Amino acid sequence: MFHRKQRSAEDFAEEIRSHLAIEADQLASEGTSQQEAARRARVAFGNKAAAQERFRLRGRIVWFENLRQDLRFAARTMFRNPGFTVLAILTLALGIAVSTTAFTWIDAVLLQPLSGVADPSRLVTLESIAPDGSQIPNSYPDYIDFRDRLKLLSGVAVTRPNAFTVTQSANDGRAERVWGELVSGNFFAVLGVQPQLGRVFTPAEYADTPNAFPLVVISDRFWRSHFHADPAAIGQTLRVNQHPLTIIGVAPPAFHGSMPVTAYDLWIPYMQQPILNGVQEWMLRDRHNRNMLGIVRLAPGVTLPRARAELDSLARYMAVANADVSEGMTATLLPLWQSPHGPQGLLVGPLRILMAVSLLVLLIVCANVANLLLARATAREKEFTARLALGAGRFRLVRQLLTESLLLAALGSALGLAATPLLAHGLKLLMPPSELSSLLSLNTQLNGRILAFTLGLCCLAALAAGLAPALQVSRMNLSAKLNDGGRSGSAGRAHHRLRSTLVCSEVALALVALAGAGLFSESFRQTLHIDPGFSPDHVLLSRFYLNTAGYSLQQRKEFCRRLETAMLSAPGVTNVAYSDGVPLGFEPSWWEELDIQGYARTRGENMNIFRNVISPGYLDLMHIPIVAGRNFTAADTEQTQPVMIVSQAFVHRFFANRNPLGAQVHGWGKWFRIVGVAQDSKYHYLNEPATPYFYVDFRQLYREDESLAFYVRTKGDPDTALAVLRAQTHAIDPNVNVFDSVPLAEFIGASLYPQRVAASLMTVLGSIAVLLAAVGLYGVMAFSVAQRTQEIGVRMALGAEPRHVQRMILRQSLALTLFGLAAGLLLTLALTQTVSSITVTNSAQGASTPLLANSANPAGSTRFLAALFNPTHLAIYTLSAIFLCGITCIAAWLPARRASHIDPMEALRCD
Amino acid sequence: MPTQSDDSDRIALLQGTLDLLILKTLLFGAVHGQGIARSIQHQSEETFLVDHGSLYLALQRLEDQKLISAKWGVSENNRKARFYTLTAKGRKELDTKTSQWNRLTRAMGLILSPQSEES
Repeated sequence: MFHRKQRSAEDFAEEIRSHLAIEADQLASEGTSQQEAARRARVAFGNKAAAQERFRLRGRIVWFENLRQDLRFAARTMFRNPGFTVLAILTLALGIAVSTTAFTWIDAVLLQPLSGVADPSRLVTLESIAPDGSQIPNSYPDYIDFRDRLKLLSGVAVTRPNAFTVTQSANDGRAERVWGELVSGNFFAVLGVQPQLGRVFTPAEYADTPNAFPLVVISDRFWRSHFHADPAAIGQTLRVNQHPLTIIGVAPPAFHGSMPVTAYDLWIPYMQQPILNGVQEWMLRDRHNRNMLGIVRLAPGVTLPRARAELDSLARYMAVANADVSEGMTATLLPLWQSPHGPQGLLVGPLRILMAVSLLVLLIVCANVANLLLARATAREKEFTARLALGAGRFRLVRQLLTESLLLAALGSALGLAATPLLAHGLKLLMPPSELSSLLSLNTQLNGRILAFTLGLCCLAALAAGLAPALQVSRMNLSAKLNDGGRSGSAGRAHHRLRSTLVCSEVALALVALAGAGLFSESFRQTLHIDPGFSPDHVLLSRFYLNTAGYSLQQRKEFCRRLETAMLSAPGVTNVAYSDGVPLGFEPSWWEELDIQGYARTRGENMNIFRNVISPGYLDLMHIPIVAGRNFTAADTEQTQPVMIVSQAFVHRFFANRNPLGAQVHGWGKWFRIVGVAQDSKYHYLNEPATPYFYVDFRQLYREDESLAFYVRTKGDPDTALAVLRAQTHAIDPNVNVFDSVPLAEFIGASLYPQRVAASLMTVLGSIAVLLAAVGLYGVMAFSVAQRTQEIGVRMALGAEPRHVQRMILRQSLALTLFGLAAGLLLTLALTQTVSSITVTNSAQGASTPLLANSANPAGSTRFLAALFNPTHLAIYTLSAIFLCGITCIAAWLPARRASHIDPMEALRCD
Repeated sequence: MPTQSDDSDRIALLQGTLDLLILKTLLFGAVHGQGIARSIQHQSEETFLVDHGSLYLALQRLEDQKLISAKWGVSENNRKARFYTLTAKGRKELDTKTSQWNRLTRAMGLILSPQSEES
């Protein structure tokens, strides 16, 4: 702005005076009397003061000027009531910090595009869909078909997250586990990632030839931590799973891999799998072998639905062409964040609940601040009356009040925003305590979306909190107020209604928070008490990654046998067993598609049955009883006919009236004979229904791509077995490391993880909400009773007893509370229906579980009633209601007692 | 005299026209505010009613826009008065505005008296 010499208002006034003088002179010279001339000149000029006012305001934007005045006035008012101001700002800051944090997490998990890739909005995930509708990974032959035949996609890449054992000579040859991705050669090309150093895979390396490309691209993080960011790292050899790979490039710092929220360190061609993981080459050609996640780039100008339609028709064609493996299957494209694989699938459910609870807290905060503002507006009625009487517009007063609440909300938001980064780190606590958490990479930095969200919240909060008092002022009856002689005792009817509404909504919101926390905790408690069907106590679980230590399949089996023998002779050890999968773990569980002799499958029936590959000692160690037939024995070897043990639920489903023992079952291209029936136990989630399941013998069916979990049951503390296990392992092969040793009882706690998160989140936020609501409720009650001091005085002067007065006030407050409770109950029931539909899924394989355990699941309105009349739920609702009634009673009784004990004369004179 | 006669046949000045009238009045030399008011009233044969308060605000607006400049001086009957003169920019503005005005009135005339167009 250029600086302009401002003409002073005094100069302008001087000009007006001169005008009047000249005009008067002229009139006088035309024959008017001196006095009359001066009067006429003034009349002709019109409103002098208005002209001068307009002169002063010229060039300024009037509303802005008013806003400045309002803000200044609001700031002054706030300073005059520091207690009120601090309370309001802190409450708002709390509400906004909680909501913004929840949003930051949602943003980081769901909204942020994949970092470090070109044009991330064009990338989508490719999911195969099983006949039962669940989304499953792809096989390599499927990938080749997709890659070569789809025209609307500019690239199809596949990736498989994998943990590698990396030995670096500089690191004393010590082994460490590093997560990376086995990727198709075109992976970087499809994602549009340029290396910051060296190169990525070239088209020649996209080929489908096994073991031809011993290459690796490393992450920026890995490059810095293992090579001190030395450019000479390019061309060096990295020993991955005991096989040398040449480092050809370093990915840019922003690139962390193809999965949101996750950070990988190595990218290795998928075709190296046979060498690295000891996977048989035929498995790469097996359409059953579904372990690849597809990530594809839409061709320019192609919409998602069009590409989806093309993929769908191809997949349906493939399902017919490969009917033996893919019958009834199809495939679809999904936005990356909708992929069920990876951490986001796990986090979405809890995050949605978190967001809802945060908003609930914010609502309660707004109700509290609205109440504070309302109380203050009542106290300021005289100020408003005076302003109205002096000619202020009602709109101006409303704006003044909204400005004040906006200022409060803005300060609260600023404070809340400042606190958000601290809270945002808490997301790590949300992740299950497994290897996955070290993979987690969250960008919770402030960005435009978060700022916009907070700004929106701030405005909403200001409006929600400031609207009620503002409306009250705008409806204020000026003459009534003035005639009232300045008494603030008689609250108008509208005013009374507003306050009652506030009480009702506070009660309703508090009930939602309280009952919500109760329902989640109760559901968690119920789940905790479910018998898993096996005994996890006194069992030490350990992992071996023998394939990454360069073992052949035969060597792995031999290693297990020798370690078993060695451990069994150790003191305090009662049982030893090993298996592929671990029950109730936070890991995918595998299935096999079965054909069961004598069972006619219906068309499209899902015959993928979950399974485990176990050593003969497994069922004994787990204390899973065999209810019919026999266990696996040492006599079941690679040479004898494959045998199988099935669960009771398996028998129930496939052998309704038949004897399962001796029946033939086809899987993995072989025929198995059922030799035993094991009691049902829990496999994925504690609250899952009885699931058909089967076990096969470790020696008869252990494949290269399977992992190895080792169990040791001890008499005492399972941790004592760890040292022995380490020593024995070392004695067999010093190069083999024992990983992830943990008592099984602790490990299976992970399966409770989503419920635990939901329960603890609800409890923490629910407590905050209840506390806030209780404070708010007390405030509203105390204030509305205090407002009636005069009325109470009159009643007592007319002969009312103090306890009559107290009883009257209590009765009225309770009536309001009951209204609120009724509203809250309806709200809670509605929300419960929504929440109980939220399920979580573990990292893959389609199994999912509801977050909120529901004992009965009838449909529609009966379900609504069932939720209400479920005895536990009923108890929770009742207790919450009683608690809130108690708070209301205290909140109403304390001020009522004070009011009824003061001298009536005093009460009448007050104010 | 502004208020003495019947106001019904006077026309309240259109927004913006006052500016044009002021500029026109100043075309023949420096005039003070009261003189401008009188002159407009007089030259329009008492048709225009000039609100003096608005006149001074208009003068200030034109001064802010650098279309006119002002200097304190002494009036013919020895009163202190603020005299306004047209700047070069103001002169140009007057030309544009006048031609605009002429076009406007011609168009208005054509529309309001169609019979003259047909004849």
